[in-house]
Amino acid sequence: MSDGGLFHALLFDYTLRTVALGAGALGAVAGALGCFAVLRRQSLLGDAISHAALPGIGLAFLLTGSRATPVLVLGAALAGWVGTLFVLGIVKHSRIPEDSALGIILSVFFGIGLVILTFVQRRPTAAQAGLETFLFGQAATLMERDVLLIVGVGAVALLLLALFWKEFKLLTFDREFGGTLGFPMVRIDILLTTLLVVGIVLGLQTVGVVLMSALVVAPAAAARQWTNSLSVMVVLAGVLGGVAGVTGALVSATGGGVPTGPTIVLMASAIVVVSLLVAPRRGLASEVVRRFRVRRRVRADVVLSDLYALAAQHGESGEHAHSVAVLRTMHGGQAGTRRSLGVLAERGWAREVEPDRWAITLEGMERARTLFLPGSEEGGPKAHDAGEAAPRTGSGAAEMRPGGAP
Amino acid sequence: MTEAEPGTLPPAIEVNDLTVAYGEQPVLWDIDLTIRQGALTAIVGPNGAGKTTLIKAILELVPRAAGRVEVLGHPYREARGEVAYVPQRGSMDWDFPTSVLDLVLMGTYGRLGWIRRPGRRERKEAMEALEKVGMEAFADRQISQLSGGQQQRVFLARALVQEARIHLMDEPFQGVDARTEKAIVEVLRELRARGDTVVCVHHALQTVREYFDEVALLNVRMIAAGPVDQAFTEENLRLAYGGRVPFLQGVTGFHHDEAGAPAGPRGTGFRPTGGGP
Repeated sequence: MSDGGLFHALLFDYTLRTVALGAGALGAVAGALGCFAVLRRQSLLGDAISHAALPGIGLAFLLTGSRATPVLVLGAALAGWVGTLFVLGIVKHSRIPEDSALGIILSVFFGIGLVILTFVQRRPTAAQAGLETFLFGQAATLMERDVLLIVGVGAVALLLLALFWKEFKLLTFDREFGGTLGFPMVRIDILLTTLLVVGIVLGLQTVGVVLMSALVVAPAAAARQWTNSLSVMVVLAGVLGGVAGVTGALVSATGGGVPTGPTIVLMASAIVVVSLLVAPRRGLASEVVRRFRVRRRVRADVVLSDLYALAAQHGESGEHAHSVAVLRTMHGGQAGTRRSLGVLAERGWAREVEPDRWAITLEGMERARTLFLPGSEEGGPKAHDAGEAAPRTGSGAAEMRPGGAP
Repeated sequence: MTEAEPGTLPPAIEVNDLTVAYGEQPVLWDIDLTIRQGALTAIVGPNGAGKTTLIKAILELVPRAAGRVEVLGHPYREARGEVAYVPQRGSMDWDFPTSVLDLVLMGTYGRLGWIRRPGRRERKEAMEALEKVGMEAFADRQISQLSGGQQQRVFLARALVQEARIHLMDEPFQGVDARTEKAIVEVLRELRARGDTVVCVHHALQTVREYFDEVALLNVRMIAAGPVDQAFTEENLRLAYGGRVPFLQGVTGFHHDEAGAPAGPRGTGFRPTGGGP
């Protein structure tokens, strides 16, 4: 099918339109809520919740005999919640760390869920139940009423997110401080976690329990790359999640039975990869450029301080010129001295008096003196380059104190 | 603001028989402490003495095994609005996507209550607080771009907009530059001048005498507490830090000639006389 055909189908094909709308709404809700999970370092919790929901789906079907979406979603939500409570309980009452608790609950609940699903499928009456689509998701099975459920419940979840924005932000950034302000942080935590559970179980039919957490984590991680504002991040994650949902579901629905979960995850991954590479400031590309600039500046500063030291030795204004060769020997014959001199000349800190012989300028002397000042934070040379006041190292997430003492 | 007679003021914070334990290990044991209103108090002690825990126990952030805490004569829960908390800078995620102004505005959340967002008035207050700590030029900066000292000043500004009368600060001078240290001390003195109470967990023994009026020496138990002149003695420091005192030489501000007999305080003039002006 050509692009034009797909677009045409999206507009006029009822099934495709339903599927795209459902997956888009789902991606938007999961993406927006996922921001808080990612910022609270609870990405794995999303994974545990979605896996823990599987036995809920099976039990809901066994108990009611119905495979109506609201029934199964309710079962999934309850099981997801119980799983979360187990994780919190294990962390609180044992010495097992959180990541292990998440791993235990995830695999145990998922295992139970698989057993129940197998049992359900063996029963002759339930052969057509099709519960196995909940593993990897099948957007093509979305009906109009399913989409209405996703849109309706998702809208309520987003409304609550907007309403308690301030409280959720406080919880995420500084929980203890929130407690001293008198907010019941435990209740706020429960509310936010409930919203996350809701966002996840809404997506199980479409994306599946195995990969649903990708739709929670990936849009948020991608959005974080582009902005330093929480509100922008949440909106952007919603949009990116929606895009991943729509494109993934469409490819899956028109591509001959490919499960939807994997295709949506591929779309989300592509968005993440692009964001990691090219986002301004936090992207890998800009990190490389920044490192290059810092290194060039540091090298120039080294040559400048050499020139300064030479001028000081000669005890006059600095009009005395020195050859490039001398300067090169001063820092162990390292290459790039000439380029550093070029950088210094650009800034007016050194000048080439005669070919290959350089002298420091008065401005250069000034600058060299500030280099030697012991690190007063505001007086240092770096404070003037606003963007580089705190050079980031590596991916930056772990390095939180740029000015930290050794 | 009128100052009552010192004797009639209830203490800012009154801690009675406070014990905190993590597992079986007591972190704080049977602490009694009275924090005087309108004074700057330092909580001093070696690593693991329970200084941070003491502050957190007062704020009910860690469970108390036993004990009572009163703030201005009321249980803490009733007087919560009077207490501002400045956590340790290093405990935060400074990569969080928010601006300096936004962070300071969090200080107004308690007053705003549920759901209401900060408005123009709160923004103005936050900017004023930033001006007080010399950080107004950084209002729109992302918080990850701040140096350690700048982070600390922003935290201080957040406490200022809370409009509390008692300020509990966990190591506000930790790892900050000289300029920040000076700015913080200035703010603390302004707070004292308007009758506020400040309690700081403090590490640098050599500045205790210069910055603070009162000191509490802590090492799981309360070793000594009171005016710096009386409580900040070499003997008490020896008790708190357990023998290893060569590095303490001189920090108490006492001359000791030979046999270690203290020869009287050097008299840095920072103690306010009586109950204030």
